[in-house]
Amino acid sequence: MVAALIVLTGVLATAELISLSTAHNLLARNATVATILAEQKLEQLRALAWGFDASGLPVSDLATDTTTDPESPSGGTGLRPSPATALQTNTPGYVDHVSAGGRIVGRGAQPPATAVYTRRWSIEPVVTSPEGAVVIQVLVSPIRDRGGADQGNVGRLPGEARVATVKVRKPR
Amino acid sequence: MTLAELLISSLITIAITAAVLGLADPAQHVFQAQQEASDVQQRLRVSVDSIQKDLVMAGAGTYAGPAAGPLNDFIAPVFPYQAFGDNPDPSGGTFFRNDTISFLYVPSTASQSTLASPLPPGALDLQLDAPPNCATPTINQLCGLGAGDRLLIFDQRSQWDVFSVDQVGLGGAVLQHRGAPSAADFRAGAIAAHVRLGTYHLKSDDAAMVYQLMRHDGWTTDLPVVDDVVALRFQYFGDPEPPRRTVTALDDPAGPWTTYGPPPPPIDDIRGNWPAGENCAFLVVDRDHVPRLGTLVGGGLASVELTPAMLTDGPWCPDGLAPNRFDADLFRVRKIRVTLRVQSALASLRGPAGVLFLKGGTARTGYRYVPDLEVQFDVTPRNMNLDR
Repeated sequence: MVAALIVLTGVLATAELISLSTAHNLLARNATVATILAEQKLEQLRALAWGFDASGLPVSDLATDTTTDPESPSGGTGLRPSPATALQTNTPGYVDHVSAGGRIVGRGAQPPATAVYTRRWSIEPVVTSPEGAVVIQVLVSPIRDRGGADQGNVGRLPGEARVATVKVRKPR
Repeated sequence: MTLAELLISSLITIAITAAVLGLADPAQHVFQAQQEASDVQQRLRVSVDSIQKDLVMAGAGTYAGPAAGPLNDFIAPVFPYQAFGDNPDPSGGTFFRNDTISFLYVPSTASQSTLASPLPPGALDLQLDAPPNCATPTINQLCGLGAGDRLLIFDQRSQWDVFSVDQVGLGGAVLQHRGAPSAADFRAGAIAAHVRLGTYHLKSDDAAMVYQLMRHDGWTTDLPVVDDVVALRFQYFGDPEPPRRTVTALDDPAGPWTTYGPPPPPIDDIRGNWPAGENCAFLVVDRDHVPRLGTLVGGGLASVELTPAMLTDGPWCPDGLAPNRFDADLFRVRKIRVTLRVQSALASLRGPAGVLFLKGGTARTGYRYVPDLEVQFDVTPRNMNLDR
């Protein structure tokens, strides 16, 4: 009986190990996909016009809708500055919801049932050069209640990705 | 111990042993599957990193010596086909493959100069100017270029070719060229710089069940980067506005003369096979340069998808006869979308072909499944977006 109990304990520990390794693999997968999704949005926003036209006048894309695929030339927010809470709450114009396969399936405050990740972004003019440079941040989370992480400063939780860049208006 | 106690304890032992044995087989499969799932993720990360690292640099041009700026002011820095090597796709009339991309960029290097003497078609003797950024020539290097280095030569006429430095002598070098001899006719002053180049493509051999992400080095070597990549697709998004002239006069050496793309020749000059004053990006109407390319519908300021038809119908740069000609719409490219799918290397961990598996395997139970992992990501080459 004692021997059997020892074996049983060992087996249960092994089962726990299986469960742990599965959970960690899932977490790693989420982090990988979330990072790729975050970089995709960052690159999409970086590709929006923020330069000068042929006569040297500034050109700013403040209308492209990047929450649709393919992106639409109007109806969106482009590189328009976002509300200060854009990374903390789902703010239409600065959020889209993505399926497990990376397709955009929603763009509202509430994620649809098919969404697996929520992608929020913020556009913040650089204080010292508000017309010349913007800070772009993207936060991708698996759909879940982020609890206190959505209050105050937005941290990065396990399985999430947060990336940032600065886009500068450059004369040619 | 009574007989009854013995029987009961035996039954308990047998039950526990059966439970253990019952768990052992699935546990083994789960461990195998989890290890493979981790491997699939790792191969996905390597694939994404490799492609992103090279494509994000595409178009970087010279910044010292001739300081000509980004490559897409002269030539296309990305091509949707195999553009280099012994048998480049254009030699067979192919100008688009959705699973292939070639790229060019000038790395951080002091080896940026101009031709001191012409390099006519087929010629391989190189003479370079010596701008201040170039190291003092020695018997081993010319403007920092040594044997084996790749050299890109290009000019304002959108002529280009890639060479390798074969030998260096004092004051000059002998080049090598792959495939047919170079047909470009470079004049003195053409830009010459050390270059990084390559081609990513998908190797898909159903008979041998080999699926690999490959990288050709732009010269002779084609090596696998990642195994079991079963799908690879590139889409191109570009500026809906065509290249336009800026207010800068064509004889102003500072430029920029265009919003992007190659500057046209002066109105009365003939360049290649084009009428006087024209090139692949500009026409002459009423003695004024106007865009040869149209404005793409539905764009506004947003980039629009460049379809295979757009990228294979001309106009051709530098002209329609050049062996390494490219479609002028490639100047528009601002963003590249990559779709990539990685599968389990073990057929025993793949189920029947379908949504989860592009290439079917032999697994028949769910706990042995390691589904394919597919991602889509965008790359915005920094030097192809200087005007945005």
